Amino acid sequence: MKGLRMDGTAIRVMAVDDSPITRKMIKKALEPEGFEIIGEAGNGKDAVELYHKIKPDIITMDVTMPIMDGLKAAQVIKEQNPAQKIVMLSAMSDQDIVAEARGWGIVHFCAKPFKPEEIVEKILRVISE
Amino acid sequence: MELSTTIAPFVRASTNIFREMLDVSIHKGQVEAEGESFLSQGFTVMVGLTGGWEGWFFLDMSQETAIKMASLMVGEDYSSVEEEEVLLAGAEIANIICGNAITDINNIHSGLNIRLTPPSIFAGDNMSMFNVRLNACSVLLQSDIGNVKINVVMKEAK
Repeated sequence: MKGLRMDGTAIRVMAVDDSPITRKMIKKALEPEGFEIIGEAGNGKDAVELYHKIKPDIITMDVTMPIMDGLKAAQVIKEQNPAQKIVMLSAMSDQDIVAEARGWGIVHFCAKPFKPEEIVEKILRVISE
Repeated sequence: MELSTTIAPFVRASTNIFREMLDVSIHKGQVEAEGESFLSQGFTVMVGLTGGWEGWFFLDMSQETAIKMASLMVGEDYSSVEEEEVLLAGAEIANIICGNAITDINNIHSGLNIRLTPPSIFAGDNMSMFNVRLNACSVLLQSDIGNVKINVVMKEAK
């Protein structure tokens, strides 16, 4: 159970993606390992609002979303809490996007399509830093 | 911009993603100029492109193929394209193919900064998809779960 800490508590994850199918696949990858999905959002604006209520340990954040994209949402959250851990999870990861994310202190990307073990290992690496 | 060259990243992305996500091998067909329209096989996803180049990407297949694709992606059984998860799975596959291809194009052509719009999904019989005044390029990909057409229309933004 890689999603459990030494004290037995679960690592708390917020999944942000405009595709409910991808959110479902994230849950399928993480929950069997003991991670707890404590919130989901389908766009950046909802993600920022939900973030204040649930304060997750880590956020998986899509880039291309309606209303507010993931880069903007990550920027807003990082401005409010620079220590917040975020993994960008996206089919788009070109140099410009990576550079913009780095500007906000986000250095971790997980490319779609992802395998379950890839997202588990990526989250564990970010949490351990 | 030569469309027949530009479509290559979409063919590569489709081949990789069908293999990695669905464990399905596909064999690409011949690139062909499509003209202003094509007849849908019954299930079409459209992703818009904005930025330095603008246009559309279409992923087109039969409804039977869409159902099989969703089942392989999610690991659950479906019987109709009217089931929400079949529509959502088709949209996400198209989004991932397009995102991977555009990542390659943006990295090759620095400064283009092409971005995607959220996908739109169309399902029905005898639908014609029009690209008025724009010429498209298509590749028909043959796979174990049926034929999949990718169709790309792009022009330099003014």
